[in-house]
Amino acid sequence: MKKDSMAAVMSHKDRKKSFWVRYIAQIDLQLMVIPALVLIFIFSYLPMYGVLMSFQDYDIFGGFFHSPWVGFKHFKMFFDSPDFWNVMRNTIVISFLRLLIGFPAPIILAIILNEVAHIRFKKVIQTISYLPHFLSWVIVSGLAMSILATENGSLNILLEKFNLINEPINFLSIPNYFWGILISTGVWKEIGFSAIIYIAAIAGINPEVYEAASIDGATRLKKIMYITIPGITGVIIIFMILAVGDILSAGFEDILLLAKNPVLQDVSDVIDTYVYRVGIKNSRFSYAAAVGLFKSIISIALLTIANAVARKIGRSLW
Amino acid sequence: MEINKKSMFLILALMLSMSVLFSACSKGDEASNQNKVVDQGDAGNFILGETPLNFSFYGNYDWYTMNPWGQDPATKWIQENKKVTVEAIQSGGTALQKFNTMIASGKLPDVIWGDRGTDVEKLRMAGKLVPLDAYLDKYPNLKKWAGDKTLNMLRSEDGKLYQFPNWYTKRPMGNGGYAINNKIYKDLGSPKLETFDDLYSYLTLVKEKYPKVVPFEVGLSGQGIDFLYAGMSEDRTVGHLMNRAIPDGNVLKSLFSDPVYRESMVFANKLFKEKLITQDAITQTRDQVKEKINKGMVAIYGDFTTTVMGTEANSILKAKDPEDGYTMIWPFHKEGVDPKKVWVNEFDSLGWNVSVITTAAKNPEGIFAYLDWLTGEEGERIIFWGPEGTYWKGTSESGAPLYTETYANDVEERTKLMAIWDTFQWAGNTTFIDESKSVNEMNLPEDKRDWATVSQTNVAWKTSFDATEFGNINPLPDSDEGIIMQQIADIADQVRAKALFAKDEQEVIALLDKAEQDAQNAGYEKLLKFQTQKWQENIKKINE
Repeated sequence: MKKDSMAAVMSHKDRKKSFWVRYIAQIDLQLMVIPALVLIFIFSYLPMYGVLMSFQDYDIFGGFFHSPWVGFKHFKMFFDSPDFWNVMRNTIVISFLRLLIGFPAPIILAIILNEVAHIRFKKVIQTISYLPHFLSWVIVSGLAMSILATENGSLNILLEKFNLINEPINFLSIPNYFWGILISTGVWKEIGFSAIIYIAAIAGINPEVYEAASIDGATRLKKIMYITIPGITGVIIIFMILAVGDILSAGFEDILLLAKNPVLQDVSDVIDTYVYRVGIKNSRFSYAAAVGLFKSIISIALLTIANAVARKIGRSLW
Repeated sequence: MEINKKSMFLILALMLSMSVLFSACSKGDEASNQNKVVDQGDAGNFILGETPLNFSFYGNYDWYTMNPWGQDPATKWIQENKKVTVEAIQSGGTALQKFNTMIASGKLPDVIWGDRGTDVEKLRMAGKLVPLDAYLDKYPNLKKWAGDKTLNMLRSEDGKLYQFPNWYTKRPMGNGGYAINNKIYKDLGSPKLETFDDLYSYLTLVKEKYPKVVPFEVGLSGQGIDFLYAGMSEDRTVGHLMNRAIPDGNVLKSLFSDPVYRESMVFANKLFKEKLITQDAITQTRDQVKEKINKGMVAIYGDFTTTVMGTEANSILKAKDPEDGYTMIWPFHKEGVDPKKVWVNEFDSLGWNVSVITTAAKNPEGIFAYLDWLTGEEGERIIFWGPEGTYWKGTSESGAPLYTETYANDVEERTKLMAIWDTFQWAGNTTFIDESKSVNEMNLPEDKRDWATVSQTNVAWKTSFDATEFGNINPLPDSDEGIIMQQIADIADQVRAKALFAKDEQEVIALLDKAEQDAQNAGYEKLLKFQTQKWQENIKKINE
């Protein structure tokens, strides 16, 4: 019976039927999709009217209907603001570094773990590496700050013990170190969890392919190069496209918590922290909405471009 | 059969989507129910203690959680004897969001308790607050204890009073200042510690003899650095730095071009560069500070909470070695500056924060009557020390509760209860509480007295500047001046931190020059003009 209905859905004749007939025919599948659609509609589409706020001088008492329209005033203010170029530069540089280092890191971990023969050892490593994902940034940053402290900081003590430095280094107050600290704590926190998806993808590769390669005399490295990596390219590209769409989300909590020293503002101020510091904290809702909308538009454009590029090699999202 | 399966899926899907809808709506329902719960009471002939009074109360701070009403001896007593019940609306750690949500959804609590200034002004301008003037004479405690001057200062632009003050005072208060580590001080031969030169040579000596010890611990966000400004000239106070405006005659002038500020930053840079100030000054957390001072790893400790943090540190060190511990000393000053005019603390007669009654309240008079009772002698005794019989019995002539044996012996339980009662203290009467405390403290032998009280009475309160005239001089954040102020605040925070890390004096000056220029480009003059005008209005109100 099931086979029949599947065949009916797939049949050529069926395609010509109206949308609703086809919809009813696969209702059991569609019903599973509906809750997700409802969720997206309520929490992503419904609140979207709020972007109109960015064209108003929003008055929290009057609400949406009693606030005056001001056109592009808030966008202009953001572009003219002395912080604009600095914020944009930091956002792009930090995102780019994340893409360059944070993105391949879990893939490399997944490939390395795949090569570990000792199952129990592999499981232990996997568990240890994904646990930090469940710690909140407040805890991770507290940990980072006490490790990196000048007085009694573990890292400085270690470096001094090995005679690598004569005087403790003030890691959290020197702008040159900030990007490195930010990216490496991020990698430490997320590497194990992000690797899970790639480990799953690798597990999906047919083991017979490896066996055949072994018989042909392929080395381990060759197997990684010609079987493992091509086997998970599809997954990598999908995540790559999504990461490009996120390029203006350089981070929020981590930066807010790690860049406490105002000296770092020149290198740490990104769009999201700027929205929080200048917009939300001062109740400038329209300004915050305008900057947020600007960010979304650029992100959509980037996502579309990345997808178009991926389509050229036949692996696009849509 | 297939149809059955399908309809089952359909029902499942419907249930799922409905539950999503319900969860989205339930928040709104809760809020509207809260309003309905509030009991009316007859507004006209209200008598506190006879007419039952219920109101909802929101504390606008991330850290604030009100304890459940009626679960402890004090609020139980109030519930039984005054027929007052307060329903808490908690901030849940996100006060800003909660506050904005309540406004945007039009569902305000009956009472909002929070900082003066921006939020109160926003509510007032939108006509959401109840003026209190009509009740001032009928319920006399607030008028009696706060006085007309303070109430005038609290009045809004329209001349009406909307704010019920908390911890208002007629006498100086504060917790900041320098404390020295007794053991290290004695070891190093107890040198004279009065001027900045003394400070510098003492810190150098500490660094030489105790390489592991932080010579000068400046606390959270480098607060102690601001003390250097206060000591550089007479009548300079730490508050100038917070407002980023220096009074000169009857105008407020730029912080960055002020020679005294510049001199203090050059000195701070020198101390920092020579590693005499903690190198984690700007980035460290409160726990890091605590660890250092509790272990006695600092020679001089100075920030705005010295009497608070110092009390614990002092008792930990004293427990190990009676010779150890901390002593608060008179603030350092530049050679030639009158030490009696160095102010490392500030107080204003308006106190800490305020309660406002919103138009959502069904019985504003009742709420005022309760707050007024709370700020009076009886209310303060109950909410600070609990109902009569446990920790106090009988009162002195001035109304101070007289401590019982239980008060001295039952420290653990008492500390716990007093912390709970502190969450109900919305109309703190500093003058009454402090006088009551000292009545009891003076009955104790000298070595039994509280370290904080001794430090406050001997030093901290005497170095506290009356800054009432500088209250509320800052603009609303979404106004033109407010946008400028946010930029100036950014510039000031950055230059202060950068100046510490500068390599020499020239660089400090160059940084301050650049800050001055950036500030002028951002519209600093306009902001200073606004602040000057507000300040002058305040002076007029005080002298009225």
